[in-house]
Amino acid sequence: MALEKDVFAELVAIVGQANIDDSDAMTDVYAYNWCMEVVNKMEGKEPLPYSPRPLAVVLPASTEEVVGIVKTCNQHGLTFKAQSTGLGPWNNPSTENCIIVDLRRMNKIIAIDEESMLAVVEPYVSGAQLQVELMSRGLNCHMPGAGPQVSPLASATSMSGPGFTSPSTGHSARNVLGVEWVLPDGQVLKLGAAGLEHEPDWYSGDGPGPSLRGIMRGLHGAKSGLGIFTKVGIKLFPFPCDVNWNVTGLSPDYQFEKPDLMKWYIVDCKTYKRAKAFVQRVEEHEVAFMCSVLSNFGLSAIFANSIEKLLGNTVLAMTKVPVVILIAGRTKREFEYKVKVMTSILDEHGLENMAGTKFEPPSISYAEALRSNLGLHGFIATGAFQSSHGIMDTLGVCFKATKQNIPVKMKYINSEQIANDFGEAVWSTSFEHGHMFHAEMLTLYDQTNPDSVTGVADYFNDCNQMDLLQHLGIPFFIDGDERHDWYGPSCSNYNAWLRQIKEALDPACTADAGFYISPRNSKKQVKDKEV
Amino acid sequence: MTSEEYARMVKRCLRCSICKWIPQVQIKNAKHATICPSMDYYNFHAYSGGGKLILANSIETGRIPLSETVRDIVYKCTACGGCSVSCKHLNTLEPLEVIQLLREKLVASGVGPMPRQQEYIDAIKRTGNPYDEPASQRMNWLPDDVKTHDDADIAYFVGCTSSYRRKEIAIATARVLNAAGTRFKLFGSNESCCGSPVLRAGDVESFKELVGRNIDMFTASGVKKIIASCAGCYDMFKVEYPRFEKMPVDIVSASEYFNELIDGGKLVFKDQEPITVTYHDPCHLGRGAEPYIDWDGDVVQMLPMVSLNVPEKPKRCGAGGVYEAPRRVITRLPGVQLVEMDRIKEYSYCCGAGGGVKSAFPDFALHTGQTRITEAESTGATCIVSACPFCSSNLQDAITESKSQLQYKDIAELIYDSIDPSMSGQNNE
Amino acid sequence: MKISTKDYRTLFSRICGTKRVSEDPATLKQYTTDESLFEGYAPAMIAWPKTTSSVQQIVFIAREKGISLLPVSSSPGNRVHGDSLPRSRDCVIIDLSKMHRIDRIDQENRVVAIEPGVTFEDLIPVLRKHGMRLNMPVMPRIGKSVIASALEREPVAMPLYQWDSTDPLLCAELVFGTGDVFRTGSAAGPGTIKEQRKAGQAQVNPMGPTQFNPIQVIQGAQGTLGIVTWATIKCEVMPSVQHVHHVSSDSIIELLAAQHALLKYRLCDEVFIMNRLGIASLLGTENASIEALARELDPWHLIFVTAGHGVLPDDRVAYLDADAKDILAQRGHRITMNEGTFDDRVLLAKLSSPSRDQWRSRPRGGHESIFFLASASQIPKFVNLSENLFTGREVIVYLQPGNLGTSIHCEFDVMYDPGSPQDVGTVKSSLSSWHDAFIDAGAFFSRPYGNITKAVFQHYSVANISTLKKVKTIFDPGNILNPGALCFEDGTSG
Repeated sequence: MALEKDVFAELVAIVGQANIDDSDAMTDVYAYNWCMEVVNKMEGKEPLPYSPRPLAVVLPASTEEVVGIVKTCNQHGLTFKAQSTGLGPWNNPSTENCIIVDLRRMNKIIAIDEESMLAVVEPYVSGAQLQVELMSRGLNCHMPGAGPQVSPLASATSMSGPGFTSPSTGHSARNVLGVEWVLPDGQVLKLGAAGLEHEPDWYSGDGPGPSLRGIMRGLHGAKSGLGIFTKVGIKLFPFPCDVNWNVTGLSPDYQFEKPDLMKWYIVDCKTYKRAKAFVQRVEEHEVAFMCSVLSNFGLSAIFANSIEKLLGNTVLAMTKVPVVILIAGRTKREFEYKVKVMTSILDEHGLENMAGTKFEPPSISYAEALRSNLGLHGFIATGAFQSSHGIMDTLGVCFKATKQNIPVKMKYINSEQIANDFGEAVWSTSFEHGHMFHAEMLTLYDQTNPDSVTGVADYFNDCNQMDLLQHLGIPFFIDGDERHDWYGPSCSNYNAWLRQIKEALDPACTADAGFYISPRNSKKQVKDKEV
Repeated sequence: MTSEEYARMVKRCLRCSICKWIPQVQIKNAKHATICPSMDYYNFHAYSGGGKLILANSIETGRIPLSETVRDIVYKCTACGGCSVSCKHLNTLEPLEVIQLLREKLVASGVGPMPRQQEYIDAIKRTGNPYDEPASQRMNWLPDDVKTHDDADIAYFVGCTSSYRRKEIAIATARVLNAAGTRFKLFGSNESCCGSPVLRAGDVESFKELVGRNIDMFTASGVKKIIASCAGCYDMFKVEYPRFEKMPVDIVSASEYFNELIDGGKLVFKDQEPITVTYHDPCHLGRGAEPYIDWDGDVVQMLPMVSLNVPEKPKRCGAGGVYEAPRRVITRLPGVQLVEMDRIKEYSYCCGAGGGVKSAFPDFALHTGQTRITEAESTGATCIVSACPFCSSNLQDAITESKSQLQYKDIAELIYDSIDPSMSGQNNE
Repeated sequence: MKISTKDYRTLFSRICGTKRVSEDPATLKQYTTDESLFEGYAPAMIAWPKTTSSVQQIVFIAREKGISLLPVSSSPGNRVHGDSLPRSRDCVIIDLSKMHRIDRIDQENRVVAIEPGVTFEDLIPVLRKHGMRLNMPVMPRIGKSVIASALEREPVAMPLYQWDSTDPLLCAELVFGTGDVFRTGSAAGPGTIKEQRKAGQAQVNPMGPTQFNPIQVIQGAQGTLGIVTWATIKCEVMPSVQHVHHVSSDSIIELLAAQHALLKYRLCDEVFIMNRLGIASLLGTENASIEALARELDPWHLIFVTAGHGVLPDDRVAYLDADAKDILAQRGHRITMNEGTFDDRVLLAKLSSPSRDQWRSRPRGGHESIFFLASASQIPKFVNLSENLFTGREVIVYLQPGNLGTSIHCEFDVMYDPGSPQDVGTVKSSLSSWHDAFIDAGAFFSRPYGNITKAVFQHYSVANISTLKKVKTIFDPGNILNPGALCFEDGTSG
């Protein structure tokens, strides 16, 4: 498919010649994404890492330009798919009739309001960029597990939201304040106090009356299925320790001047029962900056920067059910209290801290924890990974899912389609000091091997089935018509309501619905078929 | 890499966008967080290191042909290697190598290089330099008061840009060597292009010819060591030539040599007015200058899909570049205070000139240079110092365009300005 | 369609039972007024369902017959906002106060599951027995429904335990205006609640299901979108040690800065600022003692509580106290630490219990609240404005940070003598202009009630209002749930 010349000209008039590209070369690059091959396979297609190719890619620089693009799409029966830092197949179009709106040029930190502890950012500000501006103010931001190079706006408005620092910085969905949102028809909503006629501000995204934040996203965002977000106010948190940031050495072996008041705990709880009791006890005390349950594989990975070092971390590889906790203090007394609490709880549970005794965490691990860079270590082993499950409720159900997943996964490990992590690769983190937990099962695979991709796709389907049949919660990647219509009837028929929301706000299905839900009567081609 | 390795590698990009930024733990300032000049100027994802890996995959799998559009994307890149450093902090992909191989494929297919690049390749073939200046005028920079020794076992390889365009660098280098009493020779009109612009443009066949010719010339000259004041030339001789043929001589950068001279007490400096400088790491003296290390190990499959190198294969992340020598030189010059920019060493931000960009996309080169100048200004320094004539050209153009008050000096100039001529050892024999 | 009284009784008594419906005029009258200065119509009937199924059937009937429903959860008497007053004579009040089960107390997961009729006085002692407590408003009145309080987004006293505006409300079961039953958050499924609990879940994740957050849409909706029949409420660990700190100043700006520091560095549980009359009313009981106390006090007061629980509660409080003292010392000028001014136990009791009377009305017997959200930097402006607007009147000023300290509930309670028609009349006639003044100054009335609602929406984004109306047509297409409230249309639409 090719973009019609008159439409191209309209888009040029909006963004400028330099900011639109409809060449095959460019659009094919944008059709590629991490895990696209798995998504394709799960949908019964060839396991290629390419989605349908968009008609063009446009780079707006302002909300006004975004509105112009959206209106042009409406006028010409096109769809759009917005992306910022663009990691993952949810950034890709589901049909060829689609314009990708790459928000890279909207990259400003609009405001940092220290008194209200919030920041207002555009889509292409990265987590790391925001964090470094906050540190000098003694503040910090939440960053998702995908890493500090991704967009906090995308995480807050459109994607998921667990992060390694979630015990102390929460979940992206719950950190959202005011929002600027371009609806699929081109209207601009400003949620909460941002919509005031007099002195609009970003400190609240709710009201007056019902909160449209609840329409905007849930546990997961609409992944561009309900419009384009051009600004968001997000909550900030105290920087947990001294802000002196001194990285020395040369890549890949950096060293970090560890803050005095910071300490790792690596605790092998040996059984899930003990880990549950221990983690819940720690989290009740609200001392952890980071508190995650990992597999021994994952634990070895976060403290390594190569597969060789990962496999060399034998003492970590011998752990059975490791919990990794990072505490930090702004003052000496705060830190000493936290250390005392940890010592007491460890004694109470008959556990010991391996960090600093049996294993010395590399100094750079402190920097990577502060910078939320640990998730990227998941790629070390095989070059590709993705998570299944992603349920969210109590630690109990998370561990139940972890254990029940092992035989499901072993099937694909035994057939050598997934890398062997003994079935246990889990990342489960606390949120809001233990008020809830999530669990995702990391899956290491080879994206260049069609058999491995097939194995992952089949395994993910099995995982989704398992969560459904065993009432473990709704996993991460239940999105798109097919999966929503599969899960919905067992979950309060939520799919029917979600579809009505789409029909109300986007009856013409102008916002690509591939990872959201499509209207019942859309005349647009959706996922290569008329709907 | 082999073609099998290439075909496999281009399938493995995770589209994480790490290649657009300096290593995440090194980010200290939101304005100075990016590493990819192509992305900063052109913005579309294809211009990133990862984007070009994906582009390579699209070509390799037959989804798109090699075309002028592809050519433009691939050559709108200074081949600075920043993407590779960031990617390889945790991953094992080689974006820069893929970019280089893409260029070679484009040239081999006749689609590449860019027309302006072809012009300078032809000029090199004609005149031995990309400026199409007469070979006979290559030595015109040499002042009468510089002493050389035809029987010296050290040669100073001047390079095309210093010979024809940035003569002040050649002059300063030669004078510093004289002041230190170093006996050195010049290759004179036998010197011709090291081949860097040819290789970077992807014309590997023409490059091989240049390699052969230069190596023969080095051998015939009898020298044991070559000093290169151009980072591009240094990178060629240190890193690239040994991939094709064995180098018969040692190669040392001017910065390293100057550092040795200071260590050996061969240079004496005068007191001077204080000056605050910042140092720009040239790509080809820094991350690009890390030699390939022969690795003779085995790839051992530990588990299905999980292999490791035994012994561990060294990762070229730029750690082996020349960083400390120029800094030690600068900080030992009286009155000179060094303040660092936010993007330095292996994650330095490119000046914008390399990879054939200065010729083919001058606006892009200038914009990139201006970005770097703005960063330099933010340090409070009054002078930016580097060790590459190409960086010199582009950064000085950027200073002019930006109407910046910054001064530019090559490290040789900075040293020469600091030398006490009445006290330096006149050890020339 | 006009329904006769007999028809109402027939329809609803079939569902709720004859003893759980009433058209008794005296009973109906209880729902026509509240402590606000507004009056509503007498409803046609009150129905007290006991089960979700009953609620569902009521909604089906209401849809079929075009009957307006007004859901309430708290008992009548002592309502203050005017939101529960019927807007039409035909409306049926669906009073959920008889659905008052405490379904499940889960100490391990710090959550409790309750029905809408459960009040603070029902729940607080039960939780205490299990070592837990609620993040709750300051002295809610007796009879106030815990779920209703959370649905109204009433400000809670511990902002650092309010991780989002929905807290402490987690998951809910509700009946939409279509009659469909829905469960929000992780309660949505898969599986029944029983099956989920068997799998280890406790309905603690309020987000979802999947890509929307119905609990967030229902909150603040004043019953216009759905009727909550059950919910899980987030609980906190009961501290074993608590210290109350009292800081006073003549400068609101100084106290706001101090409060910000305490919040930024996570040093307190309960925290709020009040003016002298507010503190006196909180602590006092009778007019005379309140006046006397207020006269002795500095103009502004910051109250914050440090608390410890678990293995080393005293150590925790010790470091919090010391860090707080250091931070406040940095702002030492014009701030007075008043340790011991009030009896800690008295204040803590006030902060953890509901009140028999309306504490805000104590000075004069009546009050009208003007409250909205603001940023900390706006507060001095609003305080100055209030001094101009309420000249000659006694006013309680209550500033409650919320949502991890990102916004402040800014409340002005204007006193009046309910026994003086002139006083009542003056306040009533001024309300509109007072609200207008705050709206013009940038106050965000995020939960507008009664007569001021129209003015709020007149100065709000047209696109947002249009979207809210679309949302209404999704969840209550027949417009039977509290029609005319907020920005929604009056009357039913078939």
